[in-house]
Amino acid sequence: MPDVRLQAIDVCKTFGVIKAVQNVSIDFYKGEVHGLIGENGSGKSTLMHTLTGIFSSDSGRFILDGKEVHVKNQVEANKEGISIIVQELGTLSGLTVAENIFLGHEDRFVKFGIKNTNAMVKEADELLKKYGFERIHAADMIDRYNFEDRKLIEIVKSTYFSPKVVVIDETTTALSQEGREELYKHMKRIKEEGNTVIFISHDLSEVLSKCDRVSVLRDGVYIDTVNAADVTEDDLKKLMVGRELGEHYYREDYGEKISDEVVLTVRNVTVPGIIHDVSFELHKGEILGFGGLSECGMHELGKAVFGASYDREGSVTLADGTEIDSIIKAIKHSIAYASKDRDNESIVINESIGDNICLPSLDELGGSAHVLIDKKLKEFAEKQAKEMNVKMVDTEQFVSELSGGNKQKVVLARWIGKNSDIIVLDSPTRGIDVKVKADIYALMDEMRKNGKSIIMISEEIMELIGMCDRIIIMKDGRNSGEELLRNPELTENDLIAKMV
Amino acid sequence: MAGGDTSKNEALSIETNALKRAVLASRIRAILPVIGLVAISLIFNILSAGKLLAPSNIKLLMSQVYVTMIAATGVFFIMTMGGLDFSQGSILGVAALVFCFLSKYNVPIAILGGILAGACIGAVNGFFYVKRKVKSFVVTICTMFLFRGAIEFATTNAPVQGDIVKTVALNNDRLKITITLIVLVVAFFFFRFTKFGKYLKAIGAGEKAAAFSGVETDKMKFWVYVLSGAITGLAAFINVIKVGSVTANSGSQLETRIMIALVIGGMPISGGSKVRFENVVVGSLLYIILSAGLVALGLTPAMQQLIEGVVFLIVVAITSDRNSVQVVK
Repeated sequence: MPDVRLQAIDVCKTFGVIKAVQNVSIDFYKGEVHGLIGENGSGKSTLMHTLTGIFSSDSGRFILDGKEVHVKNQVEANKEGISIIVQELGTLSGLTVAENIFLGHEDRFVKFGIKNTNAMVKEADELLKKYGFERIHAADMIDRYNFEDRKLIEIVKSTYFSPKVVVIDETTTALSQEGREELYKHMKRIKEEGNTVIFISHDLSEVLSKCDRVSVLRDGVYIDTVNAADVTEDDLKKLMVGRELGEHYYREDYGEKISDEVVLTVRNVTVPGIIHDVSFELHKGEILGFGGLSECGMHELGKAVFGASYDREGSVTLADGTEIDSIIKAIKHSIAYASKDRDNESIVINESIGDNICLPSLDELGGSAHVLIDKKLKEFAEKQAKEMNVKMVDTEQFVSELSGGNKQKVVLARWIGKNSDIIVLDSPTRGIDVKVKADIYALMDEMRKNGKSIIMISEEIMELIGMCDRIIIMKDGRNSGEELLRNPELTENDLIAKMV
Repeated sequence: MAGGDTSKNEALSIETNALKRAVLASRIRAILPVIGLVAISLIFNILSAGKLLAPSNIKLLMSQVYVTMIAATGVFFIMTMGGLDFSQGSILGVAALVFCFLSKYNVPIAILGGILAGACIGAVNGFFYVKRKVKSFVVTICTMFLFRGAIEFATTNAPVQGDIVKTVALNNDRLKITITLIVLVVAFFFFRFTKFGKYLKAIGAGEKAAAFSGVETDKMKFWVYVLSGAITGLAAFINVIKVGSVTANSGSQLETRIMIALVIGGMPISGGSKVRFENVVVGSLLYIILSAGLVALGLTPAMQQLIEGVVFLIVVAITSDRNSVQVVK
């Protein structure tokens, strides 16, 4: 029996009526990378946030090296030897890199009440050098660096003091391959020093290759802990979902002819600094994919089609000649849009599920008298939510309480309720677990069969290959001119080669 | 599997209980202002030995409610969107001046003139807020100051009076009640049963997402400021027929009164989806009873203001939702 470093015992945490974590007990050993997996809303992040003091737990204990720890915030957690790299941006804008690295530990550099900035910067620079991030300068404002670099800085921030437990929460999706390798290197180093890494990720192959043991949570309940060497990805999926996943994940048809009917024509669209002179046509009943690197302009292109781009040049025209130049016009002419920035642009976060579903359809629901009746709205919302299988208490529940996957279902429910003909989906499965992903793919396939046209913008190459009739690769804001047709032989490498 | 089923049922019943508690909590939250209204009325009535709710005093109380309640309706719309308006007092003063001036020619035109004057100041607020992207409280503090200056200038020599004969003839409760009721009913209808209200709430709850759902947010924001100014312009008419003249202080601190009224009426200060139209009515009544009660107890105006300020602070501190980090726009 290896030495136990950290024990979670009967940890519970509720948010309102949602029980995010229920009586979870897990042992974490010294010198291991311990994977923590589960679907969205299964309680992985919540459990780790209670450990590191971001939330307070309702009940339960954490025992670190035989001693109960109860921390109120991340600074206290650090003092106990626990640190976390969070899923979102965990560094503070408006401070320098050095100030971020030593946040909460500035006392070390204070003499007679005065902070010795030079000493702090010097030590931070040495740390960055030690980690191999020489291109980052400790004296710079952190705002100068992009998301990925800021994540690297966070790695330094949360590991330089050799903490006993490091939690890495869904960090790799924000990193490029290079950044990931850096992270893996440091995970290995921490493990070899006899400390513990708790690694949260949706990427199961990554989890299997980097972890020693893997614990699975489902709906806030602890399911099992397995040795990574003894299981396959499918075993993990089964544990996460609680049932066998069907074989039909992506759509399965090949060789279907794309309709000649063009429903949307995009001509010479330019958004200064982001998109340059992009043209394409969208056909009836097809899924048109856009792929590329994150900054290639494809995300803005979705907004441009929806009339939501500021300063757009060029034209977006429907088959009947209608020009789409505003959101209002787009919605009125049956175009729907689900943004990558789900919480800010796709759903009204501080409203109920019902209000969110009804919002774009109020004109129809009001009828000719333009009067809205509560009962009618409620029936409409319930019908759409049920159709999408939104996991909820009722439609009065606030969307802010839902997990990412369920939020996305609400987004789709509102546009399906609106019965839109052209659907622009930007990163529709971002941060969403396998089960909901499968639901969304099935829904897209069904919409396509019903003659709806879908534009799918995604950074996940596999889903583009699996779902699209045609894939356009964008590069540096331009249509790279390469168009890939649906084909079972298509591989990831074919796309990557055209992206970079 | 029997054991598993029981634990599942147990979990379910815990869940339903928690849900019931949450529903109950939100219901209590919703009726708390009403309970407060009844409680405060009774307490002050007892403390003042029945003077507060004596028939003659109720008439006096009501005469103070109208202006606050009408003007609060417009501000209610603004605050639902997550905005604020500190210029209400100055709008009332300017609109009253315009009314007095025009009433020498024709009263209906004078009323329209007052409404228009209010709408114009609202448009100024809306322009700087929407087009110039200045925070609403900054814009409206500026216009409050600016138009207060204009009122003081116009009343330098003497209070401005309208046509005394025509305006005094209008000073009757039936007219005031009718106007107040019409404003409330129309506002209630549009807020509750048309997309106007839903859109306002959506803007307050998440402006960008509202825009992406087809709400013309900028247009709404601008016109709601215009509307609120116009409504206060109408309230100015009621104020003039009651008071008879405009002084340098006319309408002063109306904005604070409205804001206290709405907040103690249960309105979340950052607006959004939890606002209810009842907040306007209950809040205005609660505020008037509170201040009249303090008068009935024989407190000086300075003491009244102090106590009202403390009450305001306490209510805001208790009711503000610390979990949702929202910024007043």
